[in-house]
Amino acid sequence: MSDAWLHVVVSAIIALPVLCCFVLGVPSWFGARISERVVSTAVAWTFSLTTIAAAFALLALCLRGGAPIEVDLGVWFQVDHYEFRWRLLGDWLSLPFACFASLLTGLIAAFSRRYLHRELGFFRFYLLLALFGAGVQVVVLAGGLDLLFFGWELVGLTSALLIAFFHERPKPVEHGLRAFLTYRVCDIGLLAAAVYMHHFTGSAAFVVAAGESAQTFSGLVPPSVLMESLLVGGLLLWASMGKSAQAPLGGWLPRAMEGPTPSSAIFYGAISIHLGPYLLLRAAPILDVAPGVAASVAVVGGLTAVHATFVGRVQTDIKCVLAYASMTQVGLIFLEIGLGLRWLPLLHILGHAAVRSLEILRSPSLLQDYRHLEQAVGRQVVRSPFRFERLFPVALRPWFYRHALERGYFDTLLRDYLVGGFLRACRWLDRCDRWLTSVIVAGDQDQSKSDEVIR
Amino acid sequence: MIHSSSPAASDCIATIVDELAHYLPQQAPLHTFVHHNTLHAFEHLTFDAAVLAAGELYGAEPYQSEAAFAKHLTSGRILSTDIDSVLREEESRSCERDWPPLVGQSLRDYRRTRLCHLFEVPWGPALAWQLRETKVLSELHPMVDASRQRVLRDWADRRFGALEPTRRMPRMLQDLWRTLEQAAPVPDEAGTRLIRRRDQLLAAGAADIDSRTQPLLIRLCAAFLDQGVALWSMPDRDRGFLAAVRVLYGQVAPLPEAWARGLADELVRQQRGNCSAEDVIEYGLVQLGVERPNWRDYLQVSLLALPGWAGMMRQFELRPDRAPVEPRPARLLDMLAVQMTFEWLAARHELKKLRGAAASFSGLPEVQPARPIHKQQQWVYEAFIMAQIAAIDLEELEQPKCAAALMEEARSFDELCRRRLLHLAYERHLRVVLLDGIAAHASTSHQQPPPCRLQAVFCIDDRECSTRRHLEESYPQARTYGFAGFFGVAMAWQGLGEVRSRPLCPVNLTPQHYVTERALHAAEESAYLETRRRRGKRSLVFGNASREMARGGLITAFLGVFSVAAMVGYCLFPRFAGGARRAVAKRKLREPMTRLLIQRTGEQRTAEGLWIGYSVPEMADIVFDALQAMKLTESFSEIVLVVGHGSSSVNNPHGSAYDCGATGGGRGGPNARAFAAMANHTEVRVALLRRGIVVPESTWFVGCYHNTCDDSMVYYDEDLMPDERIANLEEAKRAMATACALESHERCRRFVSAPATADASATMRHAQHRSMDLGQPRPECGHATNAYAIVGRRERSRGLFLDRRAFLVSYDPDNDCSGEILARLLGAVVPVGAGINLEYYFSFVDPHVYGCGSKLPHNITGLHGVMDGHSSDLRTGLPWQMVEIHEPVRLLTIVECEIPILVAVMAGSAEVSRLVMNGWLHVVVLSPTSSEMHEFVDGSFRRYEPSSRVLPTVTSSAEFYQNQIASLGCAATSASFGSDGSVAANLTGEEAPR
Repeated sequence: MSDAWLHVVVSAIIALPVLCCFVLGVPSWFGARISERVVSTAVAWTFSLTTIAAAFALLALCLRGGAPIEVDLGVWFQVDHYEFRWRLLGDWLSLPFACFASLLTGLIAAFSRRYLHRELGFFRFYLLLALFGAGVQVVVLAGGLDLLFFGWELVGLTSALLIAFFHERPKPVEHGLRAFLTYRVCDIGLLAAAVYMHHFTGSAAFVVAAGESAQTFSGLVPPSVLMESLLVGGLLLWASMGKSAQAPLGGWLPRAMEGPTPSSAIFYGAISIHLGPYLLLRAAPILDVAPGVAASVAVVGGLTAVHATFVGRVQTDIKCVLAYASMTQVGLIFLEIGLGLRWLPLLHILGHAAVRSLEILRSPSLLQDYRHLEQAVGRQVVRSPFRFERLFPVALRPWFYRHALERGYFDTLLRDYLVGGFLRACRWLDRCDRWLTSVIVAGDQDQSKSDEVIR
Repeated sequence: MIHSSSPAASDCIATIVDELAHYLPQQAPLHTFVHHNTLHAFEHLTFDAAVLAAGELYGAEPYQSEAAFAKHLTSGRILSTDIDSVLREEESRSCERDWPPLVGQSLRDYRRTRLCHLFEVPWGPALAWQLRETKVLSELHPMVDASRQRVLRDWADRRFGALEPTRRMPRMLQDLWRTLEQAAPVPDEAGTRLIRRRDQLLAAGAADIDSRTQPLLIRLCAAFLDQGVALWSMPDRDRGFLAAVRVLYGQVAPLPEAWARGLADELVRQQRGNCSAEDVIEYGLVQLGVERPNWRDYLQVSLLALPGWAGMMRQFELRPDRAPVEPRPARLLDMLAVQMTFEWLAARHELKKLRGAAASFSGLPEVQPARPIHKQQQWVYEAFIMAQIAAIDLEELEQPKCAAALMEEARSFDELCRRRLLHLAYERHLRVVLLDGIAAHASTSHQQPPPCRLQAVFCIDDRECSTRRHLEESYPQARTYGFAGFFGVAMAWQGLGEVRSRPLCPVNLTPQHYVTERALHAAEESAYLETRRRRGKRSLVFGNASREMARGGLITAFLGVFSVAAMVGYCLFPRFAGGARRAVAKRKLREPMTRLLIQRTGEQRTAEGLWIGYSVPEMADIVFDALQAMKLTESFSEIVLVVGHGSSSVNNPHGSAYDCGATGGGRGGPNARAFAAMANHTEVRVALLRRGIVVPESTWFVGCYHNTCDDSMVYYDEDLMPDERIANLEEAKRAMATACALESHERCRRFVSAPATADASATMRHAQHRSMDLGQPRPECGHATNAYAIVGRRERSRGLFLDRRAFLVSYDPDNDCSGEILARLLGAVVPVGAGINLEYYFSFVDPHVYGCGSKLPHNITGLHGVMDGHSSDLRTGLPWQMVEIHEPVRLLTIVECEIPILVAVMAGSAEVSRLVMNGWLHVVVLSPTSSEMHEFVDGSFRRYEPSSRVLPTVTSSAEFYQNQIASLGCAATSASFGSDGSVAANLTGEEAPR
């Protein structure tokens, strides 16, 4: 097959979902009401076609012996030495991921047609789902950090809006906002990393490193100086920690279960949560040259896995249990990446996404499942053969239990001390500012007016 | 003697809490969902008073919204005749108010006009904005009709002829507004309601203490009540909630949260002082500065801060036997003690931040109720618009007396009044449909169905209403009967391989008998159980592994991708995937043939003290009572089906709400099977003979189970059947299969997503699809169509299409001169039927307070309840998807008997008379000898005059409901009398003549 055709196919993986968003979004912007059947069919078919295109590209990749498919769609803008290039990249990392992500999105679209039937926000849900699907494909197929950032933001935005899907209640909105804030704070890492990459190496594109075989994943070209690698690697780790709910930032994940079940399944069981490891796999060459970063990734992942499995064991509602189970596995994936593995994390991502999203979809079956299991086993179900808590001395067990129940106190510490401290500092500065103003103003105005300023 | 007063006070707090607990939701853990009156605690009031009182207490809606009623008016669901009738009755009930005839029309006319013109009355700032920015004061209201517009224009022209034409109308309207404003009555100062300190603090600008304390309290309650979701359970929870919390939080290490710094010290203080929960609550009240006379109110608002959790705590306390897995030593007092401790600590903390260390709660301002001035403006607006719409002479309105009367009407005939009357009109419409239908049916149909070849006893459930009709239509030789779906067999049932027994009887009964089943061959049983156990262990290892770290890592990384196949199956081909799942589960697993251990020979009891099985006299009693109540005492057919029912769906936490209410949210198959086994017992038959019921030897009872979701049937103990009856059973099975297919066909007409087809096999497939689809929040209709209960002979309703609305109870008044049987039937039907009906009513009118909202964000917690998303209050009531097509009316119960008998029955049962007298359901008596009916209104019986005696007549029900998606009225179907059954039969494509 000619390269030109292949380029069309790879571009279609992004173009189809984007087109779908426009086709649905623009008429509704002008007040058109689109029926449930049309919306859901459009989204489900878009992602079916996307899946086919991705599978096709994957097949072509096999036939090419693994040589990455690069699609250059030209330059958007140019400033001095910097140019923003629409460059897509299909390699062993992106195409399986793209294929899988679009398959899941399509399945969720088909599923939600029945699940959300007659729901007021039906259209909104589908539009956000399509936007999310488009965002994911941009992240996955992006040929460099610049383009990836677009998709990354789109995924974060749709994620927050879907958590707040039931916006007539305050809690979902609050939790959506919390997720959004975590994303934004961590996105600084991605943006800064992109800027520094351009600054240090002149490019933030993903390429196959010289001397490597075509069987590895394309990645960033590490800067020549170790310190620079450490900086960029640290920033990328920061970025991926937010998106993948790693400790201590992961408090938003259980709270994200406010949305409708299918969106929870695809975002926090399957795709959105795994974008962090995906980014780190793209940054793998930097991890290779900067062992400090790799070690940090491993430590963050390992700690998160232990923390999440610890906390998850005391959770009493099914969605929280699954959220922490998800966090545990993503922590392990981080650990694997930190340890220098490449193919295993990819396999782990795909396998975990499939298992977890199905579990979340099935979560309302818990009561029936429990009854069946109990009948089959013939006695009251003891969930875990390994009683984790037996590791601790009896006297300390309540203390550890409380630690787990309070989720390691991370939320409180972040809220009351970090964010709270920041806010207190701002207020203090504000007071200083007012005082200073009053002092200056008092010089040429009468006293009563400056009192007003102070108040 | 500091403590001298405390015992009395503690007593007092325990009593207060006991009393207040009645106001908490009474919902049991989800696996035994039992429908009950949501406002059970208010049953001593009349319905109208109760909905208002409860609405006030819970902040809930008493009736449908005015906007909803406006839609019913336009759609013709409420007719003007309904409104007329309701207003007439209202007028006869209340004495005439001072309404000057000057205004040009009578009070009733005025109110009719108002009820037919439901405009929104804006409030406060919204009203001010409308007056300033819109054309309210310069143009006529859009609801004013053309003729009235002309009248008003003419009048404006006459009155303000001096002005130029464009300014006349605004001038008139502004004058009108001013006149009315001057006549406006002065609103009363709204009484201040006791509120929590949290609300006062919030209003004063402090942070919301609930946002700090509630998540912690919810976490603790959830951990305490958890039945097996968490892998690591709360330490020391068998010592009670308060003790467990003290162990966890009374340690040295304080919580990092600022408000909770004193928590450890406080808990240690309570521990040292050996404080009981009552002491702690009292201490909390004192700390919050609540004065003793206000304690009850304060505790009430505190309990209602998290009603779901408090209610569940109470349920575990009162009914430990209903715990899904294991009971807990739960006490509502313990929870309240913890809550009050948290609350006062947090409130003190916020107060200190807000007002300094020395501040006290008494210094906080009361929260302002709605400003009286806003109310006054609303009344003026109301009268202003009505003066335009209603045929009121504006000239007369300029007299202060008239304006005052109009304003007084605007004040007293407020929104709640209007909604109450509209609700009555809405109910009346449905009442007239049924009563006219019955009257017309009684006067027209004197047909006799063909001779009986099959008798079938069903549950009284409204879902079996259509199954019975379809059975009679497609197989007119059938006679059907309705009896509460536990068939009098109140037992604790433990199926083969089940871990524990569960009661299968109405909730107000406690079973005294234990029934289990055993395989015919012990070897088969052990092989079966062993295979199941092996597979169970495997699924325990694999099913849960993904939740754990190491095993989960291995499984997801190396085997995880395969679950993509399952995902594709569940999302795209649910029926196939569900079937495949069942096939895999049943592979190489031969279910052994079983028998019920129904007969007790000795005096064996279980460890809980239940009799194991029934003795022959007990069985004879059960069978005799049931047969006699249904008047199934003679001319038995060869086969008598006893049909229990239940419903199977997936991904449905509220699944048990779709099961049989008469078995306490269980599936009625075992009851039907037990009843049939009893009735076939030779010794029982001898006993029956002695008591006058001759069951011929040729008659065989067959227990069966009807799945109302996928409309499948299971027949029990067929192998015990005499050989010569097998052919009869096959015929009965065919008839039932046709009836079930048609039932699914009728049900599917209400689903937008079901195929609109005349082919019942396609709808049958659709029904199966629904029962196996993970993505289906509406597996079936449940009781959503319930509105009527008919207690009487089936002949009075046979061949009458009731749109699945009726609970049908078989009762023969000729058989019951003393009313004894009726008393027994009504004693069960009235509370159960009204419970189902009222739970649907309240979940519909306020899905957020009384119902549990949309199913989509539900999150199962602790195997006993659902929360909305992450860490919310437990949601009780029915989900919106379940009640969506419901018509919220009170149950209309028709009893076929003589009036004195019913009066005697009501006098004999406090529960029935309370519900009927207070208007929680409507009762109509149908004369056993004629079509005369008497409504029970305000304590007396009043003859009902049918408004129409014409009933649409169709051959089969399908002809009537085909292609209709909305609810329908009554119709007579002739197929039930065998005139032409082929139409119905052809729908299934099975019994086409060869």
